[in-house]
Amino acid sequence: MEVVAVHQISPDQVIFFTWHFITISATLVYTWIIMAILVIGSLVITRNLSSGRKMSRWQNLMEVIVSAIRSEIKEIVGEGGDFYFPFIGTLFLFILLSNLLTFVPGYVAPTSSLTTTAALAILVFFAVPIFGIAKQGVIEYLKEYFRPNFIFFPFHVMGEISRTLSLAVRLFGNMMSHEKVIAILLSVTPLLFPVAMQALGLLIGILQAYIFVVLTMVYIAAATQSHEGAGHKPKVHKTT
Amino acid sequence: MHIDWFVFFSQIVNFLILMFLLKKFLFGRIIGAMDAREAKIGAVFMEAEQSRQEAEAAAESHTKRLRDIEEGYEQMLNKSRQDAEAYHGQLLEKAREEVDFLKARWMEALRSERANFLQELRRLAGNQVYAVSRRVLKDLAGLDLEERIVEVLMERIEAMDEQERKKFQGPAENSGNIVISCAFEIPPAMQARLDDVLRRFFPGISGIVYERSDDVLSGCELRSNGHKIAWSVKDYLDSLEERFYSALYGEAQDWKQAKEGDHHEG
Repeated sequence: MEVVAVHQISPDQVIFFTWHFITISATLVYTWIIMAILVIGSLVITRNLSSGRKMSRWQNLMEVIVSAIRSEIKEIVGEGGDFYFPFIGTLFLFILLSNLLTFVPGYVAPTSSLTTTAALAILVFFAVPIFGIAKQGVIEYLKEYFRPNFIFFPFHVMGEISRTLSLAVRLFGNMMSHEKVIAILLSVTPLLFPVAMQALGLLIGILQAYIFVVLTMVYIAAATQSHEGAGHKPKVHKTT
Repeated sequence: MHIDWFVFFSQIVNFLILMFLLKKFLFGRIIGAMDAREAKIGAVFMEAEQSRQEAEAAAESHTKRLRDIEEGYEQMLNKSRQDAEAYHGQLLEKAREEVDFLKARWMEALRSERANFLQELRRLAGNQVYAVSRRVLKDLAGLDLEERIVEVLMERIEAMDEQERKKFQGPAENSGNIVISCAFEIPPAMQARLDDVLRRFFPGISGIVYERSDDVLSGCELRSNGHKIAWSVKDYLDSLEERFYSALYGEAQDWKQAKEGDHHEG
């Protein structure tokens, strides 16, 4: 079942419904499906939460994920990271689930749409100054743009824009290209090889979710801790 | 590279809604459960720490009590040892006293036995000497021992000087009987001869009394006014007894030395 044709580069191009400026594309539909899975799954898992030693497997899985994200935030951002947790946790779970479900036939990851990744990148773009201002105050935060002196202000602005752009394009490029490669390989060698590529796709999906979230944390850390001098230095991550 | 702006803003709204829902239904609850578990584990650890401290305190208390008990035990043991030593000393002293007492009694019994033995020896030896002497005298010289004894008495009376006779007889106004004690019956003929001799040398005597007595060992004695003239084998027997005692003592000393030598070698 092909929802997106090989020549269609984005699921945005698959329109299910349109009325005036409202267009219900595959991107939105799959986003809602992912949202539904996450919300219903959360309700089911947290229905019978146990604070004792015995717990359900799903609760255990969610605790592992939550504690991993918390420890990562704590490691990169430092103390008080729980304030950013809902934003970063939601980003991670949304991108992760979007990427992991690519092995389901007929599914198209919303993250393979530049519209979705751009929306997420814009959210990060606004979240970073919001967190920075919340942490340091407007003046202190804006001063960062003029350090070491005012000449650097345009470079700071360009940096903000370019990193937002890179966030959006990196995720979109990886996911879109992976889907296209799978589609092309299926037409060339229908057996076995695409399976290996699917497995690789899962790894890439997890990795991309991790990279997106870690970069977001680094940006937040840079915005909230730059004024604190030699205190906590953000962990340096290599990005591909 | 086309961006659908409706989808773009929808995705932003979608994300914000999702963030709100997940915060409400997932993160908050999961973090709450984890925090509650952490608090429980912390409480358990605190309780364990408290229990450990209590256990340490109890162990210390028990160790102290054990040390006290051991000290008490040591003191009691020392006291018991001292009491036992004192009691041992008392028992030893008592045993020594008993041994001394038994030894003294035994020595007394031994001495008494020895005296009895010597007395018996003396009696038997006296009888034997008397019998042998009588027989020897009779066989070799044809003499009777009793007669010879009486004759010896008479010779002694005759051999006495005047002073001795007066002393034996006592003052003239107070002279009484002369008592002749013999271990045998003096034949009548000898009695007559003895009477003659006595009356000749002691004219003041009122009478002569003969009596038989076993106390005079194989001999005769004359008593008058507290003085006496006697002959018996007693003197010979005293000498014999002395020699026999010396021999007996020497033998006992040799035996004792030999036994002590064996004991040291052993």
